[in-house]
Amino acid sequence: MSLKMKLIPLALGGLLTTAVLVLVAIFVLRAWWNTPFEVFGFGEAPEQPIAFPHNQHVQIDGISCAFCHRNVTEGDAATILPVEGCLFCHATIQGDQAPPEVAKVVAYFNENRPIDWKKVHRLPDHVQFAHEPHIRFLTQVQGLSIEQSCSTCHGNVREMVEVEQVRSLKMGDCVDCHRNNQVFTENKDITDCTTCHY
Amino acid sequence: MANEHKWGMVVDIDRCTGCQACVVACQAENNIPINEEKDFLSRRAKQWIRIDRVWEGEWPNVKARFIPILCQHCENAPCEPVCPVYATYHNNEGLNVQVYNRCVGTRYCANNCPYQVRFFNFFDPEWPSSLWNQLNPDVTVRSRGIMEKCTFCVQRIRRAERTIEGQRGEELSDQKLKEGNFMPACVTACPTDTLIFGDMKDPNSEVSRRSEDPRHYKLLDKLGTDPNVVYLKKVDPHVVEEAHD
Repeated sequence: MSLKMKLIPLALGGLLTTAVLVLVAIFVLRAWWNTPFEVFGFGEAPEQPIAFPHNQHVQIDGISCAFCHRNVTEGDAATILPVEGCLFCHATIQGDQAPPEVAKVVAYFNENRPIDWKKVHRLPDHVQFAHEPHIRFLTQVQGLSIEQSCSTCHGNVREMVEVEQVRSLKMGDCVDCHRNNQVFTENKDITDCTTCHY
Repeated sequence: MANEHKWGMVVDIDRCTGCQACVVACQAENNIPINEEKDFLSRRAKQWIRIDRVWEGEWPNVKARFIPILCQHCENAPCEPVCPVYATYHNNEGLNVQVYNRCVGTRYCANNCPYQVRFFNFFDPEWPSSLWNQLNPDVTVRSRGIMEKCTFCVQRIRRAERTIEGQRGEELSDQKLKEGNFMPACVTACPTDTLIFGDMKDPNSEVSRRSEDPRHYKLLDKLGTDPNVVYLKKVDPHVVEEAHD
């Protein structure tokens, strides 16, 4: 075997390694700047303890976001109703589409256990986000409805079966919006670091 | 950008009894881990506000003097220009801000601070599990390797802005801050009203009036740091005034 023939597998191996490294680099860079590609479970909606279809509740039943996420117009966290809240309706409604899932809710209630919902939109600890001022701005200044306000950041939850994150919610994403809307809040420097970081 | 506030504090040393309530309140409000004896011995205790104790006179006529020392939020802060990553800067509300996520932990700022009110996280903070639910969700838990210091409880100021200015559409004043319990934790905890917080730009605020008191002075004024914390001198007729530098 000539020297040339011996070098071919080596060259192929090198090419393969480079290709893999480039792919990994693209994945990491994309995850860094934006949202990760939806492969191997990255960037996908987390699996919830109960398959709660938002589209059924919002689109078909016509329930407002703020009905279950009650604190969204008043406080920092949007919050979710306790299990008792689900039983407002599900004490009588057994669910035509998925009775076993509704049975799970009732079981949680009977066992006096809170539902361990998985958090979809996560922010680092050094970011302080409050829902109330954002909803106030979007509804009062921009004139959107509550649902439209929520969709500004959370996407079209109305049609989602499993809720997933649609915006990157990285700092650039936040600052873009804060810069563009600074004109509406003349007294306050809303791009100051202490707006979110303290 | 127009700006309405310049936060400041007046510390009336004549009223301070050295009870340390402010220290405890600050510790609880700002997620500061518990300082143990070994932390003090290794000089790694974190106290955003501390009570310095000074003995005055000779026994038996010895007197204990207390002075609460917190970040002075200097207008010409020595800590700011030395930061290589702009993690500490002066915002237009008169606050000296420490941005935790920018900080890379060079510790230059702490070296350059004449008041020794900046603290470095040499270790990750730890609390006994019974205190985990006591942590304040409004305040970042600082991880290892970054600098931290008094923020004038900016989380409470922001909350006051959200509720008083935003929701109710009213002007933020000292009275409103006090009613809503939005004063910094040390101020709300002080039983003798030693610490007074408010808007220095508002001529009617208590801080503006009290900072004009003839007893007023600023810590290490000769350095020209122009602090936003004003001290009011102790009044003691039995002590002959010594010249202070």
